[in-house]
Amino acid sequence: MTRLGAGERVQRLLAIVPWIVDHPGSRVDEVCRRFSIDEPDLLKAFDLLPFVGVHPFSPDALIDVVLEDGRVWLHLAEPFGRPLRLTPEESLALVAAGRSVVATPGFDGDGSLARGLAKLARSLGIDDEGAVDVRLADEVAPDLLDRLRGAVRSRQRIRLDYYSYARDEHTRREVDPFQVFADAGRWYLAGHCHRAGGDRVFRVDRIASAEILDVDFEPPAPEARPGTFEPGPDAPRVVLDLGPEARWVAEHYPCDHVEPLDDGRVRVTLAVTARPWLERLLLVLGPDADPVAVDERLGGADVRSEAAARVLRRYGNDGPLR
Amino acid sequence: MSQKLERLLNLIAALLETPRALSAEEIRARVPGYPDEAGPTFRRAFERDKDDLREMGVPLRVETVPGTDPPQTGYRIPRDEYYLRDPGLEPDELAALHLAASTVGLDGDHGLGGLWKLGGALGGDGGGGEVEPLGRLPADAAVAVAFQAVAERRPLTFRYRGEARTVDPYRLDFQLGRWYLTGFDHLRGEERNFRFDRIEGELAAGRPRAFERPQGAVPGVERASWQLGEGEPVVADLLVDADHAALARHELGEAAVTEERADGSVRFSVGVTNRAGFRAVVLGHLDHAEILGPPELRDDLVAWLRALVAP
Repeated sequence: MTRLGAGERVQRLLAIVPWIVDHPGSRVDEVCRRFSIDEPDLLKAFDLLPFVGVHPFSPDALIDVVLEDGRVWLHLAEPFGRPLRLTPEESLALVAAGRSVVATPGFDGDGSLARGLAKLARSLGIDDEGAVDVRLADEVAPDLLDRLRGAVRSRQRIRLDYYSYARDEHTRREVDPFQVFADAGRWYLAGHCHRAGGDRVFRVDRIASAEILDVDFEPPAPEARPGTFEPGPDAPRVVLDLGPEARWVAEHYPCDHVEPLDDGRVRVTLAVTARPWLERLLLVLGPDADPVAVDERLGGADVRSEAAARVLRRYGNDGPLR
Repeated sequence: MSQKLERLLNLIAALLETPRALSAEEIRARVPGYPDEAGPTFRRAFERDKDDLREMGVPLRVETVPGTDPPQTGYRIPRDEYYLRDPGLEPDELAALHLAASTVGLDGDHGLGGLWKLGGALGGDGGGGEVEPLGRLPADAAVAVAFQAVAERRPLTFRYRGEARTVDPYRLDFQLGRWYLTGFDHLRGEERNFRFDRIEGELAAGRPRAFERPQGAVPGVERASWQLGEGEPVVADLLVDADHAALARHELGEAAVTEERADGSVRFSVGVTNRAGFRAVVLGHLDHAEILGPPELRDDLVAWLRALVAP
């Protein structure tokens, strides 16, 4: 169990005391489990309680602890008979976690979370259902999310029809799924991809279909699982000068270098998986970003011009601006 | 450590039980564990204890001790502000909240402290299964301040886009990785959305019950980047090729589909109020999508692209 400071230990005790007052004769081991406290620590706290009370500390104003057969009773603990109210941080943590789980398909099957959340919200003064809404991640097909999580639990290989955004291609691949998780507003599936021959992370909204296969696998320990994007040292790089409207790129993507320029722009170096990804970025940023150096594998110096010309051909127009 | 624990508990008991504010000197005399003499040692210990109480969320009131002249500073804890309003959770509801807090952590891990106050973790039979964490929610102090302000109807003041705003906060949203605030903006005289990461400096909350929430649900933030602007929408006619159609349906919504062609391509009708946002959506499909109309949007995109073609 973790070491707590004096403040936190008082906080925990201020929660334990009213609970025991409310549940006289509770088992000491149950109190320990409920409040994640070691038995020696709890007994030490019980030793202290008989010295707690109010002036002038006559015996009838001090907390009385009775321990018998592994059970505990507290008397004269009136000032601490009810728990301290929740802090805004605590309320937010509970309501936000609860709302996000309620809004995630496949959870809260029996509705107990929704009921608990409604009671909690009412006691905090936020009666209105719409006062706090937490979408952990973008909506995806609920049955897809369910199927992926089921495969993670049963440790079964899956076959995915997946659109690779970076490469702009549709692929079919077999994956040993390790974990489904949300990050920065998107659902991801982490797993071992047999097509790529390595661990990969997939955006769930780009999975067109998933089929569970009759193949078992043993997942690695959580710490050995891949994160959302880890560019290899050999991945091709691009150097961009970003104007004010494009600066978000420096914060949004992992950059090798970020360097302020004299004219107020910033120069960034970032790893790119494949050419289509870079083409989109450059077309969207437009004049707000200038490619300074582009790896040949990403199309070289003319990548933006070529991409713009290719899209323009769809509009029956391929000349530069005159 | 246990001495400090004992002193803090006695301090809370004394301040809760007193009918009037107690002066520092009275507290020193009544609460065991402080130095016998008033002086800098006591002052320092008392200051630290007050900080500890505030950090725990104990509502410590500072007011004048009645009947003192010259007026003396006193302290007490109002009981109605201290005690939890018990939400009356059933065991299964508490267990579900506990599971939710373990599945989705908010930065700072305050959920556990809150659960203790509500009755602790459920002492189930055998502990139950492992919880697979689904993700974490980012939080900073401003979001917690705003949450309390929504609950207690306190107006918020802060700087946003270089202007001082006063907002009656109606709701909080977490969408696509960001926290948003929706409320009545007194500067603009209408309901507005605000992104927390764009709030400049501190967020201050005013007095409680200072405004009435509007009847009925308050709409939250609009997530679609092409609808983030203001004014009358321009309705775009967009054609997306077959191999990108599924993605576009997900992105723009089924309601936007106007035609499914034999070759698998799909036409969409999209209300656009933010042209840069819409352009990003269209260019995300590279040459697999085409704006068919209206001419103003089509010409816009063509001009944008022509400026990017090397002469």
